[in-house]
Amino acid sequence: MRQGSRLRLVLRDLGSGAAFASMAVSGQLPAWTLALYGLALVCALAGWRLFARRAKLTALLLLVAAVVLGMNVLAGALNLVVAACGFAGLISAHRLLSAPEPATDGQVHLSGLLMVAGGAALSGELVYGFFLVAFSVLSSLSLALGVVEAAVPEGEPMPVREVMRPLAKGLLFAVAGAVAFFILFPRLNWNMMGPRTSPGLGAATTGFSDTVRLGGAGTIKGNPRIVLRSTLSPDPGKEYLDAYWLGRTYDIFDGQEWTSVGRPPRGRLFMVTLRPGAEGLVHQRMELLPAYGARTAVALESPARLGNAAAHTQTGSRRITLQEMGGGEVRFLDPATSYTYEAYSLPPGGSGDKFEDLPADEQDALLTLPEAIDARVGQTAARVLNGEREPLAAARKLADWLQREHAYTLELSGDVEDPLADFLFERKAGHCEHFATALTLMLRTQGIRARLATGFFGGERVAGGYIVRAGDAHAWTHVLVPGRGFVTVDATPPSHRASQSSVVLQRLLALYEAMEAGWRSAVVDYSFRDQMDVARALVRPPRSRTGEEKPSRLPPLRAWAAALVAGMVAYAAWRVLARFLDRERPHEATRFVDAVEAQLASARLERPEGETLEDLDARLTREGHPLSPALSPITRRYLEARFGGRPLRQGEAAVLLATLKRAVADEARRAADESRTPRARRAS
Amino acid sequence: MNQPARVLSPVPSPASARSAMERIATQLGRAVQGKEAQAQLVVTCVVAGGHLLLEDVPGVGKTTLAEALARACGLSFSRVQFTADLMPADILGAQVFHAQSATFQFRPGPLFRQLVLADELNRAPPRTQSALLEAMAQGQVSLDGATYPLPPPFTVVATQNPVDFSGTYPLPDSQLDRFMVRMSLGHPAPEVEARLLATRGGAPALDAVEGVSGPEEVASLRALAAELKLDAAVAEFVVRLATATRQHGDIERGASTRAVLALGAAARAQALWEARDFVTPGDVRAVLVPCWAHRVLLRSAVQGVTARDEAAHLLEEIARKVPAPR
Repeated sequence: MRQGSRLRLVLRDLGSGAAFASMAVSGQLPAWTLALYGLALVCALAGWRLFARRAKLTALLLLVAAVVLGMNVLAGALNLVVAACGFAGLISAHRLLSAPEPATDGQVHLSGLLMVAGGAALSGELVYGFFLVAFSVLSSLSLALGVVEAAVPEGEPMPVREVMRPLAKGLLFAVAGAVAFFILFPRLNWNMMGPRTSPGLGAATTGFSDTVRLGGAGTIKGNPRIVLRSTLSPDPGKEYLDAYWLGRTYDIFDGQEWTSVGRPPRGRLFMVTLRPGAEGLVHQRMELLPAYGARTAVALESPARLGNAAAHTQTGSRRITLQEMGGGEVRFLDPATSYTYEAYSLPPGGSGDKFEDLPADEQDALLTLPEAIDARVGQTAARVLNGEREPLAAARKLADWLQREHAYTLELSGDVEDPLADFLFERKAGHCEHFATALTLMLRTQGIRARLATGFFGGERVAGGYIVRAGDAHAWTHVLVPGRGFVTVDATPPSHRASQSSVVLQRLLALYEAMEAGWRSAVVDYSFRDQMDVARALVRPPRSRTGEEKPSRLPPLRAWAAALVAGMVAYAAWRVLARFLDRERPHEATRFVDAVEAQLASARLERPEGETLEDLDARLTREGHPLSPALSPITRRYLEARFGGRPLRQGEAAVLLATLKRAVADEARRAADESRTPRARRAS
Repeated sequence: MNQPARVLSPVPSPASARSAMERIATQLGRAVQGKEAQAQLVVTCVVAGGHLLLEDVPGVGKTTLAEALARACGLSFSRVQFTADLMPADILGAQVFHAQSATFQFRPGPLFRQLVLADELNRAPPRTQSALLEAMAQGQVSLDGATYPLPPPFTVVATQNPVDFSGTYPLPDSQLDRFMVRMSLGHPAPEVEARLLATRGGAPALDAVEGVSGPEEVASLRALAAELKLDAAVAEFVVRLATATRQHGDIERGASTRAVLALGAAARAQALWEARDFVTPGDVRAVLVPCWAHRVLLRSAVQGVTARDEAAHLLEEIARKVPAPR
């Protein structure tokens, strides 16, 4: 294989890889599609075209993949868009492993385009932009090399360097131009097709919904994405806060799912303007990041007041209202990428709502049990409590028992008929939802009011505030203690409450989060106002140390520097432009000779490479060619116009061309007559 | 030796220049039959104001051609047979003491003619060659502090035998550069030889040559050729050709600046054959090989005929590859 071909194929394969990566970073593709595509890409880069001889047979594999994906979609386990994206990746993988032919190349590039479009539908975050650029550059280079390769005769070396240099330069300018355009001009929201609001890298995070269903694997525990940032006042000053961040509560359990009888949406919109420094309460400035992906407000446990909420979208920020929903949930009314708001809560460990404040139906709900509850639950609870009736003490006793007798695991698969009994008596292992559900229901069997609370557990100190990761999502129990209200009791073993992702992954994600934050603040959220601010800051006279304006009316040094830079940029641009404008334009006579040669081409004259019109005319004259009498005056006039300083007059070119056209047509007719005549003679 | 010059009117236009050149070439064709292209090239060289190097085996008509040129153009002519003992004074002339007046007087040598045939130039020692080449370059002779201009249009036709090199002093490459055109006549075609034998029976071919021009006309042809328009694009093309010879892997020394100027002058004269008052890339290509084949030095050690053919081949290849302006 020629050197250029190898390079072209590597560029093509890498371009396809970048396109696939633009979808993969959404974190929504099934893992097996990632693995298959990755394997195919590695083989392709190593030059192993495994399907080269069995293209049609191996296409059956795609059929199998399509069936699997289709079944997933029908079962509701997979979004249709995600399935389509995954399938596009598998098609591309198949093409990568097929024989490298022009048709295959086209299919790889086309599937790359599809995958990039799929990536836009799935995410549209910073890394997507990176892979989009990578795909564009790599595929363009590969396509250009393909064009050159087609033009270079077999056996001759490819002018790889001569092609790549100007091309790479051109692409560099194009990308730089696109980036500059992107930064300089206001942006549109280009991620309108996303299945949900920008979860970014990694899977969807919170899982807040109207119900909590027991069972299933708890993959969220390993997700280190930061979903929440908070600055607390007063600052507790701890490295790990280990606080419960409450999202919402549930009080009805039907044996499979938790729901909330709660208060129905009251239709009452409220926005509380907060004043910092309320007695004994912890003030929080909360920021729910794009990875959060839900609209439920979160605050330290037992929030007293929430307000001053703002939603941040790719088109800008605006104030929004909060609405109180059932189950103590407070929800942002508008969808957005991220939210900021303030909250006041009782200090960690404090108790919440008072018993008397709860409506009767909600109080009753705190004691309801599933109709088909396993009798062993109550019996076990009674046996463990051994007569203990005080709600808090009983809850702690039961929690200790659960932690002692049951193991923590995320490896749960498949639905079981009675997940609670399965957890307590069969498997004896589960995750936080199992522990919390078991504690809550065991308490209820003993007549103690309790409910399930969900949110986050954790709080890692970063830059003076606290962050909470997606893996910190947690469920626990609220026990209603007369006179104190709801008190948190957590049955989950302490070591498994917080995020369980690896440190390396956390660091990588932290880096990504920092980059993304920079991207958002410096690029995506960089508005016209920011541009004006920068311009104003440049020309504003510097302040003196006392804060007063200097009497000097001269612009500050930075304004001079900016003017200098702008001047240099303008000069450089002018130089480039001047070089472009000074470029020798094709001579008028050259355009004429182009037209003449186009006419001659229709006469099917055989011409050796590099033969000029002058050479051709001399040759035709020598050979006594029938077109020579028409061509000679035209050639002479062209030579006069081009080299003799006697330009063509207005309309002269058209007249000359018309003459030539007639001559060519006459010649064609004559040749046709000649070829017919012998046949006619034979016929007669 | 001298033919009476026919005084003709100065050449007013490219069209009449072409007819004048055709007249001369026709006369040359009478002397050397079947060599029309070579005859045209000789006329081109004379009109361009260059000197001509004829390189060929003996007996093909080199001397005849030179004499015919002098006769057709009405130029004073001398022939110098270069030999190993020929001294510069033998061609330049010498100061001769006159006893009567007791003074030295300059007696011009055979160089003081409008057309000089330097036969077998490579047989003369370098000093003599050098004296001739200097006179060719400057159009004058300097002797004992005095300068003697050579009669215009001073033209040298030199011959060399490319095969028999024994006991010769081959011209240095730098000196070859002073000849505008190097050409060979080659043996006549068999039918031409047969015709010669039948019709003339050995009668001198020069008898058929008529004087159809004169020194003034040659001078005016030269003046007209020198004034022809050479477009910047064509000039650039000539320079690109020179650059290509300088960068070619098989060529050790490419075309010199003098070679570039000579090609331009020859192309101007070539344009007159088409009665044009401007030069085209085709004119340049037409005279490229005769103008430059003796000026480029090949890397290969082989010299002589093979090297010249090789040089011509390389130049043709370069002319094909360097794109002509459109």
